[in-house]
Amino acid sequence: MSGISRRKFLTCTLVGAGATALSLKTTDAFASAKLEGYPDSMGVLVDLGRCVGCRSCEAACNREQHLPAPAQSFDDPSVFDQTFHNGQKRRTDEQAYTVVNRYEPTATDQPVYRKSQCNHCNEPACLTSCFVNAYTKTSEGAVIYNPNICVGCRNCMIACPFNMPAYSYSSATNPVIKKCIFCYDTRLKNGLPPACVEICPQQVMTFGHRKELIEIAHERIKARPDRYIDHLYGENEVGGTSWMYLAPAPFEEVGFDTTMNNEPIISNVKDFLGTVPMVLAIWPALFTGFHLLATRKHDIEQHGDDHSAHKEEEKKS
Amino acid sequence: MKIKIIIPVIIATFVFVAGLSPLMAATTPPAQVRIDQLSKDFEPVEFDHASHVDMVGDCGECHHHTTGTASNDPDCMRCHNSGATGERVACRDCHAPDPFSADHLKTTSEDRKRYHRDLLGLKGAYHRSCTGCHEASGGPTGCLDCHLRTEAGDALFRAGKYTPAPTDKAAGH
Amino acid sequence: MKTHLATHGKVVDSHKRSADGAPWSLQEKLLLGMTPQQYIVQAVRNPFNWILALIFAIGLPLIAGRFFFGLNWVTHSSNDYPWGLFLGFGLFAMVPLSASGFMLGTTVEIFGRHDFKPIERLALLNGLLGYLFAVIYLLVDLGQPWRLPYPMVVSFGPAAVLFLVAWHVATYLSVQVAEVSSSFFEWIGWPAAKKFIREITIGLTVSGIILSTLHQGALGALFTYAPGKVHPLWYSASFQWLFFFVSAIPAGLCMVIAVSTIARKTMAWRCDDEFKNNLDKLTISLAKGASMGLVTYFTIKTIGIAHDNEWGYLATGWGAWYMVEMAFGVLLPIAVFAWAIRNKNASLARVGAFITVAGIVLNRLNTALITFNWRLYQEIPHWREVIISLTIFAIYIVTYRFILYRLPILYEWKEEKVLVPETVNEPVRIHEPYQGSPEPVASYRTSE
Repeated sequence: MSGISRRKFLTCTLVGAGATALSLKTTDAFASAKLEGYPDSMGVLVDLGRCVGCRSCEAACNREQHLPAPAQSFDDPSVFDQTFHNGQKRRTDEQAYTVVNRYEPTATDQPVYRKSQCNHCNEPACLTSCFVNAYTKTSEGAVIYNPNICVGCRNCMIACPFNMPAYSYSSATNPVIKKCIFCYDTRLKNGLPPACVEICPQQVMTFGHRKELIEIAHERIKARPDRYIDHLYGENEVGGTSWMYLAPAPFEEVGFDTTMNNEPIISNVKDFLGTVPMVLAIWPALFTGFHLLATRKHDIEQHGDDHSAHKEEEKKS
Repeated sequence: MKIKIIIPVIIATFVFVAGLSPLMAATTPPAQVRIDQLSKDFEPVEFDHASHVDMVGDCGECHHHTTGTASNDPDCMRCHNSGATGERVACRDCHAPDPFSADHLKTTSEDRKRYHRDLLGLKGAYHRSCTGCHEASGGPTGCLDCHLRTEAGDALFRAGKYTPAPTDKAAGH
Repeated sequence: MKTHLATHGKVVDSHKRSADGAPWSLQEKLLLGMTPQQYIVQAVRNPFNWILALIFAIGLPLIAGRFFFGLNWVTHSSNDYPWGLFLGFGLFAMVPLSASGFMLGTTVEIFGRHDFKPIERLALLNGLLGYLFAVIYLLVDLGQPWRLPYPMVVSFGPAAVLFLVAWHVATYLSVQVAEVSSSFFEWIGWPAAKKFIREITIGLTVSGIILSTLHQGALGALFTYAPGKVHPLWYSASFQWLFFFVSAIPAGLCMVIAVSTIARKTMAWRCDDEFKNNLDKLTISLAKGASMGLVTYFTIKTIGIAHDNEWGYLATGWGAWYMVEMAFGVLLPIAVFAWAIRNKNASLARVGAFITVAGIVLNRLNTALITFNWRLYQEIPHWREVIISLTIFAIYIVTYRFILYRLPILYEWKEEKVLVPETVNEPVRIHEPYQGSPEPVASYRTSE
């Protein structure tokens, strides 16, 4: 009789050991939280006040990334009047990794144009949510991805606080995530700025080391406090982003989500990730213990083997 | 491969035809300036310097403190108050044609004491200077008002003969 | 089926025909002891099969179309709404409704409540099928379903919650297959395999609890990636996994009540007396468990609102919708269960169970779809998406019915070991004193 109980116990112990082995992999999540981006990470400072809405950046992106032809010419300003569901403005999709939208904030006489693309977070939510680890944050600061292993779960799209990753829903055989990759393959890794930065006639975008861009941005605010909202969007939002923004009008009036926390997205998930190894470690012993307690009486009645059941309990503790 | 082409193209096209010599600049301003920085996608712009000199009068409006006149910006006056003619007058002498090249970024990053770290590149300087004034004075501000697009430019902007055929999908779903 | 039984009156519930003692062939087992002609006749006679046929006629081509024309053709999934009905209903609602397997497994095997035995196998099967079909919904939704094994073999994203879900669902599916397989081994007649499964039952059950706790919770934790998108009333960084885990308990229990109710009504011929006679009592017991789960769930949901100080949201339109969900899906069943338990009214408990199931589905849809992107706009699923979801659910029902008709889930397999004295010592029974009703062995022993 005792042998049977022991076997049960051993089975549970094995389950526990296996579970603990499984738990080891979750520890990576904690390491990533301490990261503050790569020290030499590059970035782009976008000064919305300078943008005139010429959409050259959209055109350059289209050419650089070999994207399909747009529905309208890139010099057609009528796209600024397009609205979608519930007044949504244009957004990035599988055919456009960057789009410029027009806003009319109350604080300025002129419309404000805002270019959006992947912000290349220091701690990308897309990267941490990807179960095949398709995303990489390069030392240059770009968040790139490997379309060859993308399963298409679209969890990164759920996770991205900026709604940037798009999906090629139209493809039946090879749909993958599509987003701005900071022109990593063709430019960034070769020491060149992204195509949109290079083409911009107004130098709305300043390309440089992220650390220096932060200094430059604050100097601009200091030098022209009348021209800028005193905030560098992306310096701290969701743990900091490589692309950062200065605006002449309140950020929420020019298409930014200002309710964002400074904590990276992954910190919201930490509470759960922390419980995983605990459940894996505690549950086997706890429920085996429950089992032994709950069934001990039967064992005694059935087999009259008080001693063995007692021994099992001792082992458990 | 691509880079090997792009870098020489940028360098080659960032050439000011006139006004290269500081000595010349100080004495005889050019009548005509050919700006062909964007020659891949746009035809060169023949900038009528002479008529702008007549129209604006004050060289400092565009050349800041370098032409012997006081700067219009009180911030600049805190340092550049001598009123001396600068040795460098041409736009490209200060505004780098390649502000984001690895070399240029390296130079500015290493020079930690440099005050003018946040200087516009040449193209940005042109456009911000020209359109800023044109907006205020009612001058032309549209892209094509100054630039003629090349065929490559039409292809880039999907305009001209590259304009996409109109579809009913344009308004989204 | 009922008509058929009335005319032929034989049901496969042991290896040998009761009439002549000859063994059933596999085909006869599969055809429930009928000839193919008889089987087809009874299948065509059943009006429910006509409804299913209609659903399949429309739905199966649409599923095929999804793989030929892409997700764009069947869903309104978009760049703002990556997840639609397939995951919102198919994954997020099916999984909690399948928590029954580990709940009853724990009750019977861990806590030794062998009085729940008549319904344990149904609960295990319900768990297995629910998970299996959640994975099928997932396969329809994944952009490249053929890459589903990638997180297992090609590239690992171990810090991702979805990685845990993938691994845990895959492992738990195997565990559940093993748990349910003992009925299959009885039916097919492989006692050695069944014996092996019996021996590892405790291990399987404990790993089932671990895996269930984690991935029921992990499904909730998936939404903690989207703090700005899920409405605050449905979001809690700290407690989301607990909300999903705790609500899965009443969900799983009530799903067993719901399924057993349907089975009792529609396939009474297949239920043995043990099942039929105990069902009312068990339903009340399950209802007790479910109402405790619901009360706990209501409490922690309230704590969640207090913890993040979201009271203000209750006064908004979304808050009203939240209160509708809580009132209909949680408080109403609590009241119904209370009344039913007090008056030992199993029928009323069944009503409560159906409400709870609907309430949980509503909660998952609210979290994943309805209140998702509450600051943007609301996405209405494509009609093809609705039909495909319905079709997969119909396949689920057909599979469910197919197994219930055959495997000893609702009835006990009559071992004819009585006729083979060599196997009498039955090692299984020694550590399984409560397994099975005593008839066959006892009758053999008395004859000895």
